[in-house]
Amino acid sequence: MNLRMSAAIVAGRVASWLSKRQGHKGSSLPGMVALKIYSGTLRDLAAQVRKKIIVVSGTNGKTTTSNMIFGILRDAGYQNIANLEGANMVSGVTTSFVKRAGLSGKIDCDYAVLEVDEATMPIVLKELTPGVVVLTNFFRDQLDRYWELDKVIGVIRKSLKNNDRNTTLILNADDPLVAQFEKNAGLPVVFYGLSGSERSASTSTQTREAQYCPFCGSPLGYEFYHYGQLGRYRCSGCDFARPVARVEAGEPRIRDGVANCRLYFDQQEAELTMQVQGLYNLYNAMAAFAVGLHFGVDVPLMLESLRKYRPVLGRLERFSYQGRSAFLSLVKNPTGFNEGLADLRSMKGTKSLFFAINDNDADGRDISWLWDVDFEVLNKDHNDLAGFICSGSRGEEIALRLKYAGIPMDRIVVCKDMERGIRSVLDSRSDMVYLFSTYTALWPVHKILNSLVDKEGAYAAGGPFIS
Amino acid sequence: MLQVGHLYPELLNLYGDRGNIITFVQRCRWRNIPVSVRAINLGEPVNFKDYDFVLLGGGSDREQNLIAADLLKHRDEFAAAIEDGLVVLAICGGYQLLGKYYLTLDHENIPGLDILDFYTRAGDKRLVGNVAVEVNMGGKKFSIAGFENHSGQTYLGNIQPLGRILAGGGNNGVDGLEGARYKNVFCSYLHGPLLPKNARLTDQLITLALARRGIKPELMPLDDRFENSACQVMLDKLRVSKG
Repeated sequence: MNLRMSAAIVAGRVASWLSKRQGHKGSSLPGMVALKIYSGTLRDLAAQVRKKIIVVSGTNGKTTTSNMIFGILRDAGYQNIANLEGANMVSGVTTSFVKRAGLSGKIDCDYAVLEVDEATMPIVLKELTPGVVVLTNFFRDQLDRYWELDKVIGVIRKSLKNNDRNTTLILNADDPLVAQFEKNAGLPVVFYGLSGSERSASTSTQTREAQYCPFCGSPLGYEFYHYGQLGRYRCSGCDFARPVARVEAGEPRIRDGVANCRLYFDQQEAELTMQVQGLYNLYNAMAAFAVGLHFGVDVPLMLESLRKYRPVLGRLERFSYQGRSAFLSLVKNPTGFNEGLADLRSMKGTKSLFFAINDNDADGRDISWLWDVDFEVLNKDHNDLAGFICSGSRGEEIALRLKYAGIPMDRIVVCKDMERGIRSVLDSRSDMVYLFSTYTALWPVHKILNSLVDKEGAYAAGGPFIS
Repeated sequence: MLQVGHLYPELLNLYGDRGNIITFVQRCRWRNIPVSVRAINLGEPVNFKDYDFVLLGGGSDREQNLIAADLLKHRDEFAAAIEDGLVVLAICGGYQLLGKYYLTLDHENIPGLDILDFYTRAGDKRLVGNVAVEVNMGGKKFSIAGFENHSGQTYLGNIQPLGRILAGGGNNGVDGLEGARYKNVFCSYLHGPLLPKNARLTDQLITLALARRGIKPELMPLDDRFENSACQVMLDKLRVSKG
């Protein structure tokens, strides 16, 4: 028995209790305290995972993908540790282990599913050896913290290169910035991706990250785009191209809160149905499915687990208010926001919109990315859009952005009192309400919403959150 | 008709810089000033004489090197157009590119377009955060706000700064200056993007572009409540008065 480890765990537990008593979630503090007392806390606890550690990183979809993987492994009967609430820095990852450790420093678990912040990858990979690393996609995100995307990718590439161990990469084939890791890292790879569909576009008007080949610098040609730089690409100068995927989704249909597609894998096929919105959730599901397939989990069991999956906090979470629907969406970067707007536009009926934009450290202090979001699309159907209520510490900035997107000023209201703003958007006479919130505004918005509405189809206690 | 040129929009598109184009165009359209935007991409021919306003934004290092090589081919025409009063807004990496050179941490000297008298050297500390700057335009002093994120430190030679730092780092974090101004060229480290919440600056660019065409209108006033309050929120946060 390691006394420093025990001390670290006791201190972490005390920190957790104190933090919760003060109304915090306690998803990072216990790990931070434990690491201060014993720097080997994460390393020692992670080494006790019986089967494999799964690390999920990338820009968008980390939390949802982790939750889906966790659900699949739980339904397959395994004991698992995870940081499912998105506390994805080293302290949050450590917290997930500390919470489950006995005072002697022992944990009892088969798998660990860890969502890891991109910039934190080198630190976490120094402490533990993942059996699988999932990379979802790379988009610009919180540039004041991460600088440019190239640097983020470089950091992850380096941390995987130093990883001379037995790790399999699960990669999004449709994102050239992710797919390049096959050659870069020299590790075994499982690709997943989406076939072309009626929704795919032959051109992209959105901000795209990768115009040029990461290997030779020649322009990338596209047969079609799904969103952002995701699509079927081929380099005009070398042999880099969208790889063949082991897990491929086809015929995606997303309507009224239900997403279906055909899944093609290992010469088999199956129908996947989920209670989620948004094309990107199909990507998250494919990633989770590929992880399960890699570990040999039973396919019907995985499909059933994904069918039961419900969105986690703020991932197009659905609420009901006086018989009408309200959707809450976390927004962190242009691509995620654009997908949220695409989802909104796919729904028939009149809508009212609420925005809570904060610029705290965890949101990213630089909110200039709002100008990379295509709010101009709202112009086309502004007759369906009754009102825009802007709140948060930078509510004035989103109001300004909407004005320049061509929304009439008289439909835009800045309301710094969040509760009053949410009440007024819910009381609008629209058929449905969409709420978009940055990270640090999400909890307050969620709390206010919960006090006003009945949540639909929520997991009972003991559901997707394990804290 | 005002012709706007957006240089390398697919490559120099960090930090919402396209908001500068959106703002310039909308503030023209709201006043019924005809305006059109053309994207100028890598390898395409460009005749700077065709333009009234050109935006040169910032990009990542890799993208910046690609465009530097391309722009160098048009260097002399670009310099001549600037002498002729072309209105230019150069942000961050685009700003650095107009200077003499960029000195990396390894003492490598990367030549710039050498159109304006300043140089940049890599700093060991990145300047990241909100910024307020006092500018003096058309005989009036006022404050502008934005967000900076750069490791290059720029030192001006015989050239005016865009303004004086009220809060934040600016050109180099040392001399209290931000950006550069030469004829109708405005250089700045400020993203945010710069123009949307600094409407007076945008209107100054429009006025200069029209004047160069021989049109000297009093710009029709617009309802700038949103612009002013978005700027004021930042100035308040930085405890700076609007002036």
